[in-house]
Amino acid sequence: MNIVEMRSVTKRYVAGEHTLNALDGVNLDLEEGKFIVVLGQSGAGKSTLLNLLGGLDSPTEGKIIVDGQDISKLTRDQLAEYRASKVGFVFQFYNLIPTLTVLENVALVKEIAPNALDPKKILEEVGLSDHLNNFPSELSGGEQQRVSIARAIAKNPKILLCDEPTGALDSETGVVVLKLLLSMAKNYGKTIVIVTHNQNIAKMADVVIRVRSGKITSLEENQTPTAVEDIEW
Amino acid sequence: MLLKKLIRTIGRYKAQFISMIIMITLGIGVFLGFNMEWVSLNKNTEKFLSDTHFADYRIVNENGFSKSDLEKLSAVEGVDKASRYISVNAEVKGTANTLGLTVTENREVSFFTLMSGDEYDSTSEDGMWLFDKYAQRNNVKIGDPLTVTYKDFELTGTVRGLIESGEYMICVRDETQLMPDFNTYGYVYVSPVMLKNAVIKKYGVFGEMAYDKLYPQINVLSDLSKSQITEKTERALGKTLLILSKNETISYSEAKGEEEEGKTMGLVLPVVFLAIAVLTMVTTMHRLTVNEKTQIGTLKALGVKDGKISAHYTSYALFIGVIGSLLGLGLGYFVCWFMLNPDGMMGTYIVMPEWKLYLPWWCALVVALIVGFLTLIGYLSVKKMLSGTASDALRPYTPKKFKNLLIEKNKLWNKLSFGTKWNLRDLFRHKSRSFMTLIGLIGCMVLLVGALGMNDTATGFINVFYQDVMNYETRIYLSSDGDKTTQETNAVAYDIASKTNGDYSASISVTVTDEPISLDVYGIRSGVVGFLSDDSKLIKLPTDGALVCMRVAKDYNLKIGDEFTVSPYGTSEKYTMKVAGFNRSLSKSISVSEEYAKTLQSDGVSLTDSSVYRINSVYVSADKETLKTTEVYASYKDGLTLQSHSDIVKSFEGFMDILNLAIVVLIVFAVVLGVVVLYNLGVMSYTERYREMATLKVVGFYDKQIGKLLITQNLWLTVVGVAIGLFAGIGVLNVLMIMLASEYEMQVVLGPITYVVSILLTFGVSLIVGLMVSAKNKKINMVEALKGAE
Repeated sequence: MNIVEMRSVTKRYVAGEHTLNALDGVNLDLEEGKFIVVLGQSGAGKSTLLNLLGGLDSPTEGKIIVDGQDISKLTRDQLAEYRASKVGFVFQFYNLIPTLTVLENVALVKEIAPNALDPKKILEEVGLSDHLNNFPSELSGGEQQRVSIARAIAKNPKILLCDEPTGALDSETGVVVLKLLLSMAKNYGKTIVIVTHNQNIAKMADVVIRVRSGKITSLEENQTPTAVEDIEW
Repeated sequence: MLLKKLIRTIGRYKAQFISMIIMITLGIGVFLGFNMEWVSLNKNTEKFLSDTHFADYRIVNENGFSKSDLEKLSAVEGVDKASRYISVNAEVKGTANTLGLTVTENREVSFFTLMSGDEYDSTSEDGMWLFDKYAQRNNVKIGDPLTVTYKDFELTGTVRGLIESGEYMICVRDETQLMPDFNTYGYVYVSPVMLKNAVIKKYGVFGEMAYDKLYPQINVLSDLSKSQITEKTERALGKTLLILSKNETISYSEAKGEEEEGKTMGLVLPVVFLAIAVLTMVTTMHRLTVNEKTQIGTLKALGVKDGKISAHYTSYALFIGVIGSLLGLGLGYFVCWFMLNPDGMMGTYIVMPEWKLYLPWWCALVVALIVGFLTLIGYLSVKKMLSGTASDALRPYTPKKFKNLLIEKNKLWNKLSFGTKWNLRDLFRHKSRSFMTLIGLIGCMVLLVGALGMNDTATGFINVFYQDVMNYETRIYLSSDGDKTTQETNAVAYDIASKTNGDYSASISVTVTDEPISLDVYGIRSGVVGFLSDDSKLIKLPTDGALVCMRVAKDYNLKIGDEFTVSPYGTSEKYTMKVAGFNRSLSKSISVSEEYAKTLQSDGVSLTDSSVYRINSVYVSADKETLKTTEVYASYKDGLTLQSHSDIVKSFEGFMDILNLAIVVLIVFAVVLGVVVLYNLGVMSYTERYREMATLKVVGFYDKQIGKLLITQNLWLTVVGVAIGLFAGIGVLNVLMIMLASEYEMQVVLGPITYVVSILLTFGVSLIVGLMVSAKNKKINMVEALKGAE
């Protein structure tokens, strides 16, 4: 079953006389429960793709259906509701609320997500039960990213969207985080989309999508994904 | 190149720059406005009084001074100029108005400035020089005939000129009248010749002699001290006399009082605005340099010298200071002009020909210091960012690590919602911003409570005084007729009082130590005259002691039960009385009942039997017109002047209109202050939490939920600000009343409307600004916001 269906999706940015097609007539189907990696150079349109999927932005043209819901024409509030219930985000720079503790950063999703999971349990699973009352500034980058993953999972979303989740981490920590991300997604049965320019991550994926100049140039299914620990970084 | 950056940066932070400029403009405008007001008032009044030869001393003898008395006094060493002088209230024929009929023998003492018409002629037999404001209000033109009657003299002449005199700079009938009423009261100067002719007409062959004893006053220009002139005068004239220095005249002392008020306001009000302006500058310049830290680092890395970079950032503060000061200068002139122009607030009180505005040098110096100080703040802000190496400067600013709040130890903390926690921590994390917001709210509230409370206090006092305390319809003045003995005058007064069922009073000028105070002896029959206690309650005049007004009680440190001694002017009599209570009064006075006065004795003679006990007013409940139809009025009318209660109350209307206008201006200032400070800080808070709000949006929070979080924080601060501001406002009002205690005996009163309006307005300002800022949520670009590094 497809969790995502994109039909002729175009995202156009107009600045003065210049028009930039960040995405240009993209058609894409993503199957539920898969681990998908989107690869591309800087400016290829991969982040735009992720932002549209995540309801951070709306397409100029075309239709995007996520979990049976057409999100391309939603209002601001409907998009907020969509983000609250269907998607979890993990960013390169974690984006935690600095004035909330680790536990509070995760627990805040309970105020908006209808099916939120127990924040404490999730934090335990990501190995942060000793840091529940620490503020983000008291944690290392890897720990902060783990909080961010816990927050994304705690919403109990259909799909996890990750934008360069290891981009700000050293390779060793990056591996730990990726491993965690994958195991969490697997345990909770989440579809996971990672946007990156790191070719190595693609080796782990079920599906690898390559993007260039706003178009999808290839979509490969990887029959034998490599385990994280077997990849050379 | 850096100039271009300066201009573009200003464009980028326009909300902050505009708000700082507005705050500085307001601060400097209010500072200059009030201080220029009292300085200009001082210079203009001093010039006017000197131009019209305002007398330094008034030597008074009700039995009159002869020509030889004047000669003896003129010969006294230290007396520069002296003139026999008379000023009595005369009725204007054909109207219900009164004019101060004034004659000075020497035009170099207690004279006037000619505004239009013919020069004064001291030999004119029919020339009358009339107060221009009275003429204007009563449509009297140069060349019009005018007749005034005083006792049974009648002076008829022609208005030759329109004038303004320093002696009548504050043109009130007597001390009980707070505000001038140019419609019903003015003054007219005539020549000694005209006065003499009128006296001769009445007394025939004895006229010359009567005229020689007509002048009850000699006005003197002299640099001598009061004790020196008293001693020298008494030696020259051989008797004890009432000598009033210029400080004891209404015109001089009230004008000085106005200056004091200006000084007080110039000291208190600008502090609120300037303090907020400086604090806004500190927080905003800090934020600006924090935001620009990497740019500062880049410039440093490029090889730009520290001095140049700090000059660049310091120039922002200088720019703001200079622009704010220039606008403040304009506002200051406007505020000063608003209060000090012939048709403005002061013009209804003080009348003088010139209303020039002066900017004192020390005000300019203070403004320069403020600009210097603001520039220093700018310099210190950038200096902090410049410290260390270029690579240090290149690193983004790292705020202090966040620590747990004390309240988090409480178990209840975990029960709080995420929003509450977020807001609480944000408040404590950005203490300076929270503090500034609070200061802005308190400032707004203080101004509102102060302005509205001032109105409540003034109207409350006037209403209580003239509606509840003074219940008479008409006050009848009995003129002091040289022909009648005290006993005869008092007999008339008793007759009028008994036939009209009125209360009556005798005002005796007495001293406790030096300064003259009015000892008012009241005969209360119907109780149309009442008294206001120190806690603003209506009280009866005690029969076992004196009611001492609050200023006198304070000056002489009197307590209930204390005894003190007064001595009527021009006598050696001494009366010792006991303090029975305190009252709030318009003028400095001691009030006693006639019963109690009877028990006061000097050398075995009761005060009421003394020659100084002359009843001069009867207060009746009949209105002026009804009174005029009575038999009793007909039989004594020559010696009577009537003033209706409504005339007095009406004279406050103009004053109240202007007070209301001033209050509206203060309310506008309060709202501007609130909006500017809150908006500036709101935008700052929004910018600082931009990334956090973007995260919340990504996570799935609605715009309105985020907006609610922002507004909630604002409302918390507003609740605290309103509570503190309310008490601070009442405090400021009380301080103002203490500072003005030498002039008024008002008690701070706050009506329910003041509470409601000031609280609602402050909440309204906070809510509107909160909505304005939270509306920006919709514009948060989640994608952009979350891209950058932490």
